[in-house]
Amino acid sequence: MPEAIEGIFEKYQRRSDQLIPILQDVQKEFGYIAPESVRHISRYLRISENQIFGVSSFYAQFRFTTPGRHSIKVCLGTACHVKGGATLLEMLERELGIRCGETTPDKRFDLERVACLGCCALSPVVQIDADIYSRMTVNKLSELLKQYE
Amino acid sequence: MTKKIIHITINNKKLDAHPGQTILQAAREHGIYIPSLCAMEHLASYGACRLCVVEVDGLRGFPTSCTTPVEEGMVIRTDTMEVRGLRQEVLKLLLSEHPASCLFCGEKEECKQYMGTIRKVGVITGCRYCPNDLRCELQQIAENIGLTETSYPVYYKNFPVEKYDPFYDRDYNLCILCGRCVRVCSNVRLNGTLSFKQRGRLTTIGPAFDRSHIEAGCEFCGACVTACPTGALSTKVSKWYGRPDTQIGSTCNYCAMGCKLLLQTTKTEVIDALPDYSSPVEHGIICVKGRFGITEYVHSPLRYGVPREMTPIGYNDISWEEAIEKAASKLTGLKPDECLFVVSPQLLNEDLFAAQKFIRQIKGSEEIASSFIFDLDDDAISYINLISDSEPIETIEKAQGVIAIGFDSTYGYSAIGVNVKKAVQSGACLLCINSFESNLDMLSEASFVMDTSKWADMLDLIIGFMSKDKIEKRLAGSVKTFGKDIDSACKVFLRSPDNVLIVGPGVIEAQNRDRVLGGIERLKNEFSWRIVVACPYTNLKGMLAMGAYPCFKPGDTIRQHEADKTVELRGENAHIDLKKKRKLIYLIGDTSFDILPDCDYLIYQNALPVKSSRAPDLILPVSLFTESSGTIINIEGRVLQVKEAVAPYMDSKPDWWILKRIAEKIGRPGMKFNNVGSIQGEIKKIIKGFPAVKRRVEFKRIALKGTVKKHGQGMPAAWKSSYRGVLLGDVVSGIKVIESKRMFSVQERATRAPLIEWRAI
Amino acid sequence: MNKLKKKISEAKRKWEKIEDNKEPIIYVGAASCGRAAGALELIDETDRFIQENNVSARLIQVGCIGPCYLEPLVDIKMPGQPRVSYSNVNIGLLSKILKSHLIEGTPFSKAAIGNFSNDTFMDIPPFFELPMLKPQMRIVLRNCGLIDPEDIDHYLAKDGYQGLMNALQTSPEDVIGVVRQSGIRGRGGAGFPTFKKWTVCRNTPGEQKYLICNADEGDPGAFMNRSLIESDAHAVLEGMMIAGYAIGASKGIIYIRAEYPLAIERLKKAINQMKEYGLLGKNILGSRFSFDVSIKEGAGAFVCGEETALIASIEGKRGAPRSRPPFPAISGLFGCPTIINNVETLGTLPNILRNGADWYSRIGKEGNRGTKTFSLVGKIRRTGLIEVQLGTTLREIIFDIGGGVQKPFKAIQTGGPSGGCLSEEFLDLAVDYESLASAGSIMGSGGLIIMDEDTCVVDVAKYFLDFTQKESCGKCIPCRVGTRHMVEILDRITHGEGVPEDLLTLRTLGDTIKKGALCGLGQTAPNPVLTTLRYFRNEYLEHIRDGRCRAIVCKDLIEYRVIKEKCTGCQSCVRVCPTGAISGPRSEPHNLDVTKCIKCRSCYEICRFEAIAGDAIIIRTAEKRS
Repeated sequence: MPEAIEGIFEKYQRRSDQLIPILQDVQKEFGYIAPESVRHISRYLRISENQIFGVSSFYAQFRFTTPGRHSIKVCLGTACHVKGGATLLEMLERELGIRCGETTPDKRFDLERVACLGCCALSPVVQIDADIYSRMTVNKLSELLKQYE
Repeated sequence: MTKKIIHITINNKKLDAHPGQTILQAAREHGIYIPSLCAMEHLASYGACRLCVVEVDGLRGFPTSCTTPVEEGMVIRTDTMEVRGLRQEVLKLLLSEHPASCLFCGEKEECKQYMGTIRKVGVITGCRYCPNDLRCELQQIAENIGLTETSYPVYYKNFPVEKYDPFYDRDYNLCILCGRCVRVCSNVRLNGTLSFKQRGRLTTIGPAFDRSHIEAGCEFCGACVTACPTGALSTKVSKWYGRPDTQIGSTCNYCAMGCKLLLQTTKTEVIDALPDYSSPVEHGIICVKGRFGITEYVHSPLRYGVPREMTPIGYNDISWEEAIEKAASKLTGLKPDECLFVVSPQLLNEDLFAAQKFIRQIKGSEEIASSFIFDLDDDAISYINLISDSEPIETIEKAQGVIAIGFDSTYGYSAIGVNVKKAVQSGACLLCINSFESNLDMLSEASFVMDTSKWADMLDLIIGFMSKDKIEKRLAGSVKTFGKDIDSACKVFLRSPDNVLIVGPGVIEAQNRDRVLGGIERLKNEFSWRIVVACPYTNLKGMLAMGAYPCFKPGDTIRQHEADKTVELRGENAHIDLKKKRKLIYLIGDTSFDILPDCDYLIYQNALPVKSSRAPDLILPVSLFTESSGTIINIEGRVLQVKEAVAPYMDSKPDWWILKRIAEKIGRPGMKFNNVGSIQGEIKKIIKGFPAVKRRVEFKRIALKGTVKKHGQGMPAAWKSSYRGVLLGDVVSGIKVIESKRMFSVQERATRAPLIEWRAI
Repeated sequence: MNKLKKKISEAKRKWEKIEDNKEPIIYVGAASCGRAAGALELIDETDRFIQENNVSARLIQVGCIGPCYLEPLVDIKMPGQPRVSYSNVNIGLLSKILKSHLIEGTPFSKAAIGNFSNDTFMDIPPFFELPMLKPQMRIVLRNCGLIDPEDIDHYLAKDGYQGLMNALQTSPEDVIGVVRQSGIRGRGGAGFPTFKKWTVCRNTPGEQKYLICNADEGDPGAFMNRSLIESDAHAVLEGMMIAGYAIGASKGIIYIRAEYPLAIERLKKAINQMKEYGLLGKNILGSRFSFDVSIKEGAGAFVCGEETALIASIEGKRGAPRSRPPFPAISGLFGCPTIINNVETLGTLPNILRNGADWYSRIGKEGNRGTKTFSLVGKIRRTGLIEVQLGTTLREIIFDIGGGVQKPFKAIQTGGPSGGCLSEEFLDLAVDYESLASAGSIMGSGGLIIMDEDTCVVDVAKYFLDFTQKESCGKCIPCRVGTRHMVEILDRITHGEGVPEDLLTLRTLGDTIKKGALCGLGQTAPNPVLTTLRYFRNEYLEHIRDGRCRAIVCKDLIEYRVIKEKCTGCQSCVRVCPTGAISGPRSEPHNLDVTKCIKCRSCYEICRFEAIAGDAIIIRTAEKRS
């Protein structure tokens, strides 16, 4: 069992209600939830892998494929929507050639939508990695992508 | 003491209900119809389908009757216009996720009659194409609600039909996400193979990562198939039979658990076997063998229909007259050691009683062989003493310490497995010792996957930890290093007032078996561990009770009263000589061809052939347990009824009938049985109240004097299930698949180091 | 208790030093909204400036004071002067401000928006007299933007934990009585009288009870809870303790969405400080009350804002709601009696316990006591976080506080995906639970989105239904299947493929879902559609009958055109067009081929913002194609 996972388990008791915090830590550590990780969690918490998968696939936070190098999150809260957030998403889907929720084949970008980043006065908002960009336009966004390898 | 009554009103009628009931349960008790799809007996209420909505005075909106408990004075309306309208709309929405074109087609009546070729197509677009047609709960509800059309577009999910797992197919295009399968798998079977995945309209049901069911740990118990209200889950073997004609309650004969089966039959065939959740033995927790392994065995095309005789140019079909004549002539005038009789411990009590009478009369000695004796050899008596003390399955749940040795309940002994799981959920500490990964490992404190040669040492190590003087520890040479892993578990065992040891079939093929059985005995006698044996020999207790065993006459081993504790056996008398050549060998439900000595004439009384280098000279076809009436005694000592569900196949006969006719022909008296009832009348003399016995049959301990000479020929294959000597895997296709998966695990694990998991925190 | 009293007097002395500061203090609004606007860069720049210029000044990061449209906000308090607030500060402006005010001692009035005294200071008006702030009554938000949220002493200095101390001097039943008398209703959306649930829980026997703070704030466009936690976490924590004491809970859990990392950090810091001061653990302040707080992060499911789904999530299961009965107050988390209260409800409690039920019951109106925070966003001049008395009219909020709209007003959306769009005939509607419900909407958690003529209500309805569909847990049929049908119908309508029957179908579906769904998410999901159908029927009919989207939003019903007279042929748009729909040689008016145009806005934006012409491309209703 990889040390990293053992380290995570040490913080939690062997009770099934600890599942979601454990999954969150595992995803923070590895970037995604791998079948191996599910197996270890299954033995630790004594619940079947299928049940663990069933719980984790319910929540939007957890992903089961390796993440891309950069994560693009388009805010689609109401304020951003009325200021054209959907058009930004369409443009990204078109340029990157993937649908929302997918990763580009070269693993460069993940594309996601988020419900609200909380900067409604500056809509529409796009977050790339840890950087938040406000008052975005289609052209500005297109240029911005070039900065992320 | 009378139960409290709660007074409610449903549709202006005053009715009585009980505390703890839901409105739905109360309504159903009084015959008031409320449709529902996701509610099911034995499952906690779910409230997802919204069809069971009702109006309740004082509650807002339309509460679901399956989740609302009754209260004193409640006023309920189940049939107002609004309620009906809402139900129709909900059903319409449901049908937009489920292909149901036939429901509203003008020609559906004609189609029902002249089904033509529209069944068995690849894609199901309507009821007439569906294996569940005329058995489907969704169909019934649409009819009862009176839905005549649906206005919403249908979303066809276009999932491929999942056919590559054994026993049942899955067509999730028909799934309505009622959740019954998930709930029964998780909460009743405690298995957790099925789970809801994702959410919203993308919700699906299945194992993790789109694995196959066999990879995901499915036990193929069929509980989900039984629960499914639509045709999404359907049994492969009986998919297209339609509605069964009758249902007969009987007992499974595949192992000593003795689970109740509700056999579904058409006029001539057993097409399905369903669990009975009210059965006191296993409470409906049955395994794949009983659930799906019956039809293909009892209706195998390889079954013998008429007696056959070997001739220089092959087999000849002969009549029963001729067959019995032949057998009788061959048996007349033989000396005791010139013939050998072998019975199967899976025969019914009545057949075993007849068999032992036959053998003792015709042969005149105590040399009654059985596959049990072949397998267990000189450990047979030790094993018998264990099963005598085997405790009721229900009691496992209360244990606080559990050891499972040589046990895996994935494909058998489900009720024991589920009870162990329940015990662990309540906080019990579990240790597992096996030669491959078992389904209980996940719940264990520590699990040891190790070669069987080490098991005896392992038990000694545990005993060492449990004893006060710790001298024992030095005996556990090869496994000393595991001391730290069992330390905390043993501390729990010492504190616990109730420990149970599950003796699995793996023990039968263990090396150093005598030491393993000895260790188990010590835990039982010195440390007060209760024993539950998962015994593959269906009617072993019956075999002992009926006296179909060397040196034990009928009733010799049964405890008639409290003080009746032991019975003696001189070891040298119980030996079966497998070296000496015989003139005649008679196999009754046995197929041990490979270890039997040479003989001049071989009589084979069974239902199916086996591959072997020896061809029997005379084949006598028997009718199987689905075609006979009788009883067995299960591992707990319960006398369980086996009922005839269909007529015997062609000209096959029950074992007792064949033996009686031969005995008559030879001219021996005493086998005057005309029917099963008269045999049971004789058995009544040794078991009070037989066959309707309320109490468990208790057995004496066998005190062995001297030793039983080893015959050394046995090749027990405890993990390959068989019935009457025929491997289920050879006859039931799915069983072969799952057993080869297990064998694969065995081979793989043989090379791996034992797995030790996390210590208790 | 005495130890705490000592700490309080120390804290008050510390606060004095701020009120009466001897060295300059610089405040930067650095909650999430400030950070998104660039506050962190300003902090770095300020640090650099102070170092370079060898000034001694103290920098305090404060939370959100409300008017987000003015962010980033940087305030300077010189010794002997009131605190002066500068708005929309960027790096360039910052150096000017620092030079003028910090070094030279004179406020840079051009960029100053307000001062924190009660009078005008050097032509700078009092901050709380500004038109956006004046009509507000800031009770829950009283500390936000004024204190350092990471210093418990600031909270103590402003009478923090006084409410708790008062509560502990009385019995739990008395506390419930105070809450009942105050008239406060649950601020999470349902508006259920808070004391009622508490009473049921109090009266249910049980060794272990739980108090859960619902900080899942899933409504897109709502950030009131987040701002409160980031700016004044202790208010919420004190409220949790008061509630826990009242119901007899010994464990408090904050269920907060993982998308709020700063809020989570602030909570963790606050909890540690509480432990140091003896405010958590056994026998708090010498009483018999023991309480511990832990944090559970949500994992990205809007439905987990619903009580039973939230409980399922904490139990490690899928976040699917379950039927009630049994009610969480009787059998909730792990089967124990549980109370779930919203962040704002809890944040209000310290004020009630400190100032008394009488005081609170005189605010607001009959049956709707107290204040409510709202996030005011959308097509309005002054966006931000506000707090007003219940009973204030929409008109006051939009036009007095919000500064009105630039383009003609169309609708106001309240209550998020569970609420509805109200047209201008409702501008004089009082904001209270009953009035909003009777208009077909709900109060919700407090999101208010203003829409003008550039917003298509059909598109907005589709947007909300789409959101609900994606967040539906999928357990019950009406929500899982019904909302899907509704989204598809709306989709067709926005693509110009609607038929008149669709309106009736939408109403029938809405009705079925409202009556049949298992939980609040499903039961309120049709509200955006049903209200827009009621109040904006004509827009639907225009889409269906005329194929026209009057707000020029629905892509299939609009087209882009080049105005030849204005086009200078600068080729800026040609460069960015992804399909080559726009073309033309340099210095000649360009052509736009509508059959290739995918309406991505690239040309429109570049012409507006960067090209020479500035308005040569327009978007308008598509000509009807036969």
